[in-house]
Amino acid sequence: MSARDRILARVADAQTVNRHAYADGQRRYQAPAPASDLAPLFGERATRLGSEVLRVEDLLEVPAAVARYLATYRLAPRAVCWPELIALPWSRARLEVEARAARDDDAVGLTGAFCAIAETGTLMLLSGPQTPATVSLLPDIHIAVLGAANIVATMEVAWARVRARHGALPRAVNFVSGPSRTADVEQTVTLGAHGPRAVSIILVGN
Amino acid sequence: MQITSAEFKRKASAALRDTQLQHALGRMQSHFVDKRAAAMRELPDVEALRDAATAIRARALRDLDQYLSQFERAATAAGAEVHWAETAEDANRIITEIARAQSVRKIVKSKSMVTEECALNEHLEREGFEVVETDLGEYILQLAHEPPSHIVAPVMHKNKAEIATLFEEKHRRPRLDDIAALVGEAREILRPHFLTADMGISGANFLIAETGSVMLFTNEGNGRLATTLPRVHVAIAGIEKVVPTLDDAAVLARLLPRSATGQSITNYVSVLTGTRRDGDLDGPQHMHIVLLDNGRSRLLGTSMEPMLRCIRCGACMNHCPVYQNIGGHAYGWVYPGPMGAVLTPLYAGIEKSVDLPNASTFCGACVAVCPVKIPLTDLMRELRSRQLAQGLRSSAERWGLRAWSWAAQRPNVYAWIARAAARLLRRLSGRRWLPGLSNWTGGRDVPTPEGRTFRELYRDRHPK
Amino acid sequence: MNAATAPRVGLFVTCLVDLMRPRIGFAALRLLETAGCRVVVPDAQTCCGQPGYNAGEFDSARALALKLADEFADCEYVVVPSGSCAGMIRVHYPTLFAHDAIHRERVAQLAARTYELTDFLVRFANVTALPGRFEGTLTYHDACSGLRELGIQRQPRALLAKLPGAKLVEMPDATTCCGFGGTFSNKYGEISSAMAGRKCAAIGQTGADAVVAGDLGCLLNIEGRLRRLGDDNTKVLHVAEVLAGEPE
Repeated sequence: MSARDRILARVADAQTVNRHAYADGQRRYQAPAPASDLAPLFGERATRLGSEVLRVEDLLEVPAAVARYLATYRLAPRAVCWPELIALPWSRARLEVEARAARDDDAVGLTGAFCAIAETGTLMLLSGPQTPATVSLLPDIHIAVLGAANIVATMEVAWARVRARHGALPRAVNFVSGPSRTADVEQTVTLGAHGPRAVSIILVGN
Repeated sequence: MQITSAEFKRKASAALRDTQLQHALGRMQSHFVDKRAAAMRELPDVEALRDAATAIRARALRDLDQYLSQFERAATAAGAEVHWAETAEDANRIITEIARAQSVRKIVKSKSMVTEECALNEHLEREGFEVVETDLGEYILQLAHEPPSHIVAPVMHKNKAEIATLFEEKHRRPRLDDIAALVGEAREILRPHFLTADMGISGANFLIAETGSVMLFTNEGNGRLATTLPRVHVAIAGIEKVVPTLDDAAVLARLLPRSATGQSITNYVSVLTGTRRDGDLDGPQHMHIVLLDNGRSRLLGTSMEPMLRCIRCGACMNHCPVYQNIGGHAYGWVYPGPMGAVLTPLYAGIEKSVDLPNASTFCGACVAVCPVKIPLTDLMRELRSRQLAQGLRSSAERWGLRAWSWAAQRPNVYAWIARAAARLLRRLSGRRWLPGLSNWTGGRDVPTPEGRTFRELYRDRHPK
Repeated sequence: MNAATAPRVGLFVTCLVDLMRPRIGFAALRLLETAGCRVVVPDAQTCCGQPGYNAGEFDSARALALKLADEFADCEYVVVPSGSCAGMIRVHYPTLFAHDAIHRERVAQLAARTYELTDFLVRFANVTALPGRFEGTLTYHDACSGLRELGIQRQPRALLAKLPGAKLVEMPDATTCCGFGGTFSNKYGEISSAMAGRKCAAIGQTGADAVVAGDLGCLLNIEGRLRRLGDDNTKVLHVAEVLAGEPE
């Protein structure tokens, strides 16, 4: 018998002795009812967790918004982006943007988002050939482009959306709720532990 | 991990005298207790959520064999390899074999209490691998060669100055006195390790049966780096960590961060399913999942089964007035506080940790905050009963109990003893030391009884 | 409550009150009688069995539970001036007999009609005028078992609010354990003293003239620590004593 079989046999034995009934009859948890307008709620929660939320009307305005953001923080007009986003008119905004997985020396990473969760102010990113996970992870600054229509109420709704669109899960689903942080030293919250020090969300449309 | 729980009293005593530690423990109220309370107030119906979370965990345990099999099938289909370890030694051996087979030299680790349980780092280092802890707290402990004192904030017993001294000495860089600067220095030191590591090891907050996924809740981002950059990812988890569905995990996600740190959600929540896919530009090429039993299956179907619902949030220790006074090291093993008072006897030996289930006032603060409603005090009481049955308690205590119970069942004998005791204690009042009560009198005056018992006085006033 | 319909209430004073502070038992008696109850005090009462139960010695706890059930068999209610002993009877007795088909029902009935004193007074007695009075400020410590097993929090405060002369000031962390915990207080004396020390500091912050609680164990612990720390002024009182005042 293998370790697997021995462990599973012990588990099954214990269960035939005592299949607890107490898990039954419990009412299922009803996730909080969605607010009618999710974008303001998302914006408020995301801001509270340390993300910056910028708004533009149209996807084509995104490059200019990114350029303004980088200029404000005196950053070089360069970024790595999800291949999915390379078709945007970056060069018109005088930005040098490369579509690839991120490297250690990338200062700015541009991603989209599969959707976002209003309840917690969270971005949901799915990994894939067009959406490499490192772009939201290695650079100091993470800028995420989010369609306002893609804000959902809860994590449960987000899972339903992944099932509907993709069936199976990608290698990595990453929920991001603000800049990387640690409170390990004297329980004092400090931003920029290992991941991005700043997260900026460009919310597109109404 | 080497168990030192037999030294509980000595270590607790030392902790009470350690002014630096007491200062650190003083932060617990504002940083854990108050923050959790505030985060819970955001929820419309906390009790309904706790009930739902409890039911999810209980359901998972009830059909654990099926959910483990389902998890294994789904994880394998996604390209991961699932390993089963009956003991800590098995887990260490399995992970060593994986590392050898993949010609691994450097390993980066994300915080995992199960690896502390296995003493995995020490094992891998003995086997010649370079192991780097990357959670800031765990990294500091690795430099200081100390065990964690808290499962969520492992280095909460150290202050900024100690960490500054440690970094100055180990990093050979100028001393930094600002917390943000210390965090920045650790980031600079650790980033190259992530980029050059061959293997990343993580734990798992939950294993999702329906998708075969490993779910991780982290704040620093080291967990994401360690499971994304190296070519091999090894996740190790106790077999009880399975939950049936992604929706179940979504319910638990509302409670775990709130209970742990008072956050509505941790900065990162990652759901990792298998290896790098066709066309993917990043992610590990190999994923191994080690499912560890190490005493867990033995608890199923017993009165201790509720303990397996534990999601390791640490709320029980944050709210425990004993922990708040002595910190985590006195408990002597991986899991401190009320959680450890139950887990340590069960996993590391009841005879090696006799003090732990006894060192509780049964105030019930832990039970009141547990997100999955584990009756921790009932479980500790049950362990006390097992200690008695196994003859693990002192003979003085056993005889005292017997004498008390014998007398209390005989009202006349009891009345006589009570009368004598009331008078004797009255005569002894004002003393600062009494035989058999020296632990009381060490910190408190002896209470003075009125001198006659209630039953005596009542009889006088209400003659039959 | 009038004499004809007055409920027959059994008073279980607890072993600690019997030994250390009989006046708490008499205060409880006075409060119940003032509320119009017919009070009986079974003479053979000793201990609810909690020390053995919490030490893991369940057989003696069962024997004492049955003894108590017999003694109070003819009482409509059992009232206890201790949240911890009332909790033992209400919450833990049924657990002890969960698998005992013979005694389960009787123990469950005992549990269902047992109340902590202030809980009973607020639920069943329409207390308008309290016999006691206290000139000064009080601070109330929530003893753990009463608070978390029986939900005793609002009841004592509601009664204290009606007490002539008294002003209630809340201490920080009133619901944090004082460190008593029965035999814990002696087995782990240093930890227990440290916990009591934090409680004393919280009491000190209020500047109250007296600290009040519903469990004598906690009171002895707090008093012992206060006196050791040199505080000879702060009074340490059971809620029953304060509410009942001194007998005429």
